[in-house]
Amino acid sequence: VAALTNFQIAALTLAACVLVAIAVQRARSRVSTRIALAWATLWIAAAIAVANPDLTRIVANFLGIARGADLVFYLAILGMFIGFFAVHLRLRRFEAELTKIVRELALRAPKEPGSGE
Amino acid sequence: VNDTTYIVIPAFHEERVIGAIVSELRAAWPRIVVVDDGSSDRTGEAARAAGATVLTHLVNRGQGAALQTGIAYALRRGAEYIVTFDSDGQHRAEDIPLLLEPLRSGAADVALGSRFLGTTEQMPARRRMLLRLAILFTRFASGVHFTDTHNGLRAFTRAAAARIELTMDRMAHASELLDQIVAARLRHVEVPVHVRYSDYSRAKGQRSSGAIRVLLDYVQGRWLR
Repeated sequence: VAALTNFQIAALTLAACVLVAIAVQRARSRVSTRIALAWATLWIAAAIAVANPDLTRIVANFLGIARGADLVFYLAILGMFIGFFAVHLRLRRFEAELTKIVRELALRAPKEPGSGE
Repeated sequence: VNDTTYIVIPAFHEERVIGAIVSELRAAWPRIVVVDDGSSDRTGEAARAAGATVLTHLVNRGQGAALQTGIAYALRRGAEYIVTFDSDGQHRAEDIPLLLEPLRSGAADVALGSRFLGTTEQMPARRRMLLRLAILFTRFASGVHFTDTHNGLRAFTRAAAARIELTMDRMAHASELLDQIVAARLRHVEVPVHVRYSDYSRAKGQRSSGAIRVLLDYVQGRWLR
């Protein structure tokens, strides 16, 4: 096994810290098991890819992409789009809910004609 | 009869003109409902002083949202007829009876004002073109032909208004409304009305570039919910 590069040391340390943070958050019931597992899977996958750059290259070559880093880059962009869309949908729902609240408050306090209070 | 007709006016930052509009309408229509859509100026106070009942949106939610609030209020108060009217002085009070006539005679459930059947004053050429495009779009997207799809002057019977529920909060509500009228099989007529463009209404109104946003809102509202 070749010695780790500085980048690998930094990235693996970060991944380890994040995994610990996820475990702590889960233990304190701040996130659901499902979400915690999803995040943990993502970070473990990232750690594996960092530790064995050859692995991403093999998968990339299989897909007809020359470099492993390119594959990771494409996946990251795809993931971000999916993330944006999910946030966008949630925002739309929030807006609809906000309108309902604002409407109900308006309907509860009609101001009759006339000046002053 | 005019007692059970509610005039609903969505207003956002209209303190300069809302008072005059409400006063003019009040001469014939005692029930004026102004929905102050989160204005930070004195729109609400001016409307109330001029004789309107004012409903206040604490934060701006858009014209569609304001219309729906006003319609919900009018229905709760027992309105028999509901008229929507723009707050920027584009419409004429004397057109309201023309819209109500087919509803009162039982000929229709909804009356939609049409500036292209009627007349306009100083309409910019670009605006005319954009509105024509909107009419074409409605023909394709909704499969119905109206001569004016984006006219804020409309009248509904109580039963018709109860079937309408605008969920597109911003400007796409105009298309959503037409879709709901068609889906609920409400009998509708278009009535010629006069629309006057002033420097004020042009400055206050929608920019042409906003059409893209409206289109996106409409497409999302239709397919994303």
